[in-house]
Amino acid sequence: MSQSQQGLERLFKALANNCELIAQAYFTGVVYKDSQNQRALNQLKQLKILVTHSADGYRITGRLSQFIDSALSSDRIRRLDTDLASWIETLEQQIGLYQDAWDENRVDDSENYFVEIERLVFDLSDTLEENTRYLLMLVNSRFANVRTLAEKQKQNAFYISRLEKLVNAISSLQPEFLLEIVEEQPLIYELLDQQLIRLLPIYQQRLQDILDKLKVFLFELRQIEVRAQLVQGFAFFLQQNQNYQPQDWSESDNIPEHWNQIKPLALFAYADPLDHALEEDLIEIAQKIPMNTEVMLVKQKQRSLSAVTLGQQNKTTLDLPLYRKQLRVYFDRVLKNEDQSISAVAFQQAFVDDIEPSIWLSCVLNEWLRRQQRNKRLQMELIQADVGQTFSGNKKVRDIVLKFRRAEG
Amino acid sequence: MRIICPRLNLWHRWLNMFDQLLKRLLQGDFICEISDEAGFRYLQDTEHARQVDEFLTRLDYRLSSTQNQLAFYAAYRTIDSGARSDIRKVFQQFRVELQPVVEWLDMMMSCLNQDTALSPGDTLSFSSLLQIIEQNQALADRLQTFAKFKDFTSSDDSVKGRLEKLLSTLQKWGYLTLANRDTLIYQVTGKLDYFYQALQFIQEHEQIPIEQGEVDVIQESLF
Repeated sequence: MSQSQQGLERLFKALANNCELIAQAYFTGVVYKDSQNQRALNQLKQLKILVTHSADGYRITGRLSQFIDSALSSDRIRRLDTDLASWIETLEQQIGLYQDAWDENRVDDSENYFVEIERLVFDLSDTLEENTRYLLMLVNSRFANVRTLAEKQKQNAFYISRLEKLVNAISSLQPEFLLEIVEEQPLIYELLDQQLIRLLPIYQQRLQDILDKLKVFLFELRQIEVRAQLVQGFAFFLQQNQNYQPQDWSESDNIPEHWNQIKPLALFAYADPLDHALEEDLIEIAQKIPMNTEVMLVKQKQRSLSAVTLGQQNKTTLDLPLYRKQLRVYFDRVLKNEDQSISAVAFQQAFVDDIEPSIWLSCVLNEWLRRQQRNKRLQMELIQADVGQTFSGNKKVRDIVLKFRRAEG
Repeated sequence: MRIICPRLNLWHRWLNMFDQLLKRLLQGDFICEISDEAGFRYLQDTEHARQVDEFLTRLDYRLSSTQNQLAFYAAYRTIDSGARSDIRKVFQQFRVELQPVVEWLDMMMSCLNQDTALSPGDTLSFSSLLQIIEQNQALADRLQTFAKFKDFTSSDDSVKGRLEKLLSTLQKWGYLTLANRDTLIYQVTGKLDYFYQALQFIQEHEQIPIEQGEVDVIQESLF
């Protein structure tokens, strides 16, 4: 195991062993030194998991806190955007350091700076992606996580101001300037271009869309307050005045715009003779029909009636076909002998002599399909013939074996 | 070989949209973002709205929208005696809907423990509502009072049966749409914008007192 791998393992172990302290620092903002945790706190500080907060207190390091925010999709993720401007500044500084190292042929240093630049670019890209996605989710849910109007309005206003900052920060990134300073460094040029610059218009547009939605929502929120008052007041009024009916505004000279709606058009294949409004129209249509037309001349047919007699009807009893009787005997035998497999062909050879085996098998199969719906203990096994074309999709059955499984328990 | 031209394809889609929307508008439907997103977007385009309005004009109708532009519907261009008779019927239906819809909106504020009234786009989960009402006798009693409105009488006397009836009637009236059949998530439609507009109008013009302050003072003095 290399030294860096060992270091990583030590870091993960420290995180796991002190998870309660870290959680406390994350959720409460600070963890204080006492006789029990002193050693653990020192170790976490050495590993840059915690940093000094006050004389006796420690807080979680910014980057780890951001990672936890992101992993838990916490509301605290909203803090990330404020770092954006400083990240861009750092990126520009790192590019400068990389170029100096490159010019001075310090290969190791330039490689280290490149890794740092790469990480910064990915961080920036991830931050923008996470922020915009998270915001979009919030906007689409219309801040459903908070119940009160005041809190919704507060959140809305907060996110609007934050978004404006974010849009400004992206605008201040000056992609042309960044690309210009790395023009002679193809690796960095490509990295910046692919991972950041090309994505910027998408993020910018997305943020602008979110901003527009938030502004509309803020406008709606102002109305919601009035509406809530209206609904509650009206509900109270209706409870006090159970027989209240609004005035008939449809009779006023100027009908209010919102009640000016068309009556839904309904199309029927025939007119409703009970609708009195149509009476005159129907008379008019009927009068237009000439007397000598086929419709008027046709005689009504005598309706035939079914004859009903009260006399006793002769009943005839139909005898069951022989094959049904034989099937019944076969199935009775299977049902009586629990857990015993009985071959349909063997039964046929012993007791049935006037049915062809193939027809007998098909009768058995049919009868089994009918009975097994009611009785799942009746089991069937198909014995297939080996002959036949491979992959033809057909099965050739040479026997059927039935078994009546014993009831469990 | 069939050649598919993207522009022609798009044109066909628009033409279909035009047909469908006109049929829905003539059936008296409200076209909103929630009940028909594509149709709503189509009508938001000024040129498309003009074409639909032009067609409706031939029938002496016009394209109208709610005050916040959250839903489109067809209205009469000229209000003659025939139109007035139809509008009377629409108004009668509003009278039927007024009390139960107000009661539902108020009850939802209590159920969801919100100080905001429902708005178009808000979602309601049947299972969550059922759970809340079953755990709160006062809400269960409120739900039961809906039975006094003829469209809400249910043969099933359970809370579940009553809630089902409440939501299905509101869906039938166009205030709700079933957004997810499997999880029974309902979504409030743009028609509610129209309802608020009408409610506001009545409150202002009939001077309905909506302040509860006086009564609160009286109640306070009782203790």
